[in-house]
Amino acid sequence: MSKRPSRGNTVLLHLGLVVLILGGIFPAVWLFLTSLKLDGELIRLPITYLPDRPTLLNYVAVFRDNPFGRFVLNSLVVSLGATLICVLFAALAGYALARLRLPGRKAIMTGIVMTSMFPALVLLVPLYRLFVGEEVGFLSALFGYLEQLGFGFLPSVVSTPNLLNTYAALIIPYVALSLPIATLILTSFFQLIPIDLESAAMVDGSSRTGALFRVVAPLSAPGIVTAGIIVFVNSWNEFLLAFTFNTTLNMRTIPVGIILYQGEFSFDWSIISAALTLGIVPLVVLIIFFQQRIISGLTAGGVKG
Amino acid sequence: MAAHSKPSRPVAPYRKPGFWRRLRSGNPSDVQLGYLLLAPALLTLALVMLYPVLTVLWQAVHGEHLLRPWQGSPFVGLEHFQKMLWGRNMTWDLGHLSGLRLLALAVVAVLWWQVSRGRLGRGVALGWSLGLLLVFGVLMGFHPGEGGRWGDPRFWNAFNITLIIMVVSVIGSFVVGLPLALLANVESPLRWLGRVALLLPWAMPRAFTGLTFAWLFQSDYGVVNDLLGRLGVTALLQVLLDSQLFGNQGLLWLSREMPAIVAVNITLIWKTSSFVALILLAGLQSIDRSLYEAATVDGANAWQRFWRITLPLLRPAVAVALIFRTLTAIQTFDIPFAMTRGGPGRTLETLGLYVYNTVTASNIGYAAALSVSLFVISLLITIFYLRWIFTDE
Repeated sequence: MSKRPSRGNTVLLHLGLVVLILGGIFPAVWLFLTSLKLDGELIRLPITYLPDRPTLLNYVAVFRDNPFGRFVLNSLVVSLGATLICVLFAALAGYALARLRLPGRKAIMTGIVMTSMFPALVLLVPLYRLFVGEEVGFLSALFGYLEQLGFGFLPSVVSTPNLLNTYAALIIPYVALSLPIATLILTSFFQLIPIDLESAAMVDGSSRTGALFRVVAPLSAPGIVTAGIIVFVNSWNEFLLAFTFNTTLNMRTIPVGIILYQGEFSFDWSIISAALTLGIVPLVVLIIFFQQRIISGLTAGGVKG
Repeated sequence: MAAHSKPSRPVAPYRKPGFWRRLRSGNPSDVQLGYLLLAPALLTLALVMLYPVLTVLWQAVHGEHLLRPWQGSPFVGLEHFQKMLWGRNMTWDLGHLSGLRLLALAVVAVLWWQVSRGRLGRGVALGWSLGLLLVFGVLMGFHPGEGGRWGDPRFWNAFNITLIIMVVSVIGSFVVGLPLALLANVESPLRWLGRVALLLPWAMPRAFTGLTFAWLFQSDYGVVNDLLGRLGVTALLQVLLDSQLFGNQGLLWLSREMPAIVAVNITLIWKTSSFVALILLAGLQSIDRSLYEAATVDGANAWQRFWRITLPLLRPAVAVALIFRTLTAIQTFDIPFAMTRGGPGRTLETLGLYVYNTVTASNIGYAAALSVSLFVISLLITIFYLRWIFTDE
């Protein structure tokens, strides 16, 4: 950690760095290499490291055997939808928590942090039943009462809509699951924007909400991007709920689609590798372009926690 | 404000502007604006988090089973928990192992009583409790006959594997993560690539990670066995370990118990140590450089600087990473599911997987009770960590 390490130390540190890089990307590289091999090469001993005859046939197979394009579309719609809604809600809440003198601010903050500790697993059964369509008791009772009063056109049983195998079934829980971390990130971000800017706008005759939209909103773009990326990655990666709620072939997200992969043969690793590689590419792109943002976002959320 | 802006009118007695008037004027009060802004987030959390948690609590004390719809959901009280932890026909005898377990629980209770009276450090107590609970849990689950008598053997099996995963993968992710954080902080032209390599495991979906490592650990054509074979490690292991564990190309990673546990922990450590490293990295960057310079002037070597400055100042970051890691480790589901679907047998059936399997077996009531136990464990750990962080600050 000293500022100018000796030459020997530098070599050692670089060696360590190379090990870190190899360890971090090796599984992904191996997937990519596997995806370029033909089936015959895959089950040959001794195993080959670099593909003998690199081929893109597996990538063709990914799209041929399964509606993989549809999986990608589903993942994109669900993740982007969840990201937009979650970041919007989190930005509003984060501003309130960072700037306003609210009674019970601490309690709300603690509550939000605590909800981030609920296992998603606990949500599984209740959400499933909610999405399958559950009777809303008090509304049914109310409508029954109204019917007696002569409002005959009302349904006698009120239940939540069946959301299974729709995008909403995933977007709603994903928004909630990422809301705590996004709120934490944005709260700590808003605390960094000097409050004087807002006061200045208000002195200059802007209303309070005007200051919020014209001064604070543009300045908070970097924080919003940071929170957005993290929500996006969380949603893109979620498996359990997607696996339970959206199981019809056309509504699967990428992780579910790959786990439930229907190949011609039992478990075709070369095609699975190709599919996995395709699923990782967007994440790699995000990482390469936004690494600093992601790191600052993760640590802001973490250090606050 | 609105009353003063139109001076032409006759002056009316001042009235506090109403809720909507203030809002429409664009100058709401802190409280109005605050709750308005918080409303969407809080409503979502209430619908998707709070409501399910309350439902689960209700279901846990009701005996709903989707394959037996005629029985409805009768109130069964704590029967599920009795079945899970204690066993239906369990008498309060003190057999040899039962005595040992009760002793372990009693010692844990005494430890925490001493902590509450301020006679014992929390760290010491935590260490001892975890050790004792591990022994306690292992005694429960790894003796099928005894386990069958004592509670639900599948629950204790799941409890054990979850505990093992929690302890091994959390410690492992710190052992790997701390050097990673130190390395990622090194000034180097390779630094950005290092950060990509650090972020990739974090960003990779857990389900993908499980599948990928299942392929890496594949016993015949996997790269792990190939490398181990080339390095001669397989030959060494063949001398040390039971021949049952080996196939043609080396260890049967995913079809034998112990190798499977090792493999899943390695996967989890790969997946999670980068998150730990990122949190620790933030801690490292917040440490004042001048401290190191002062220490160097005073003649401290690199090792002393690390132990005396870096580690103590890193403590808050360590605590945060520890909380997140432990809580996610308790919920481990995707990786063992993707790797082996919980197999071989039920070796990798974590609590999360057990809940999932119980749900798919339609036993809603019992699944809810299992979720509650999972939730209670998470809550206890959270409370413990939070108290630990806030009291020692």
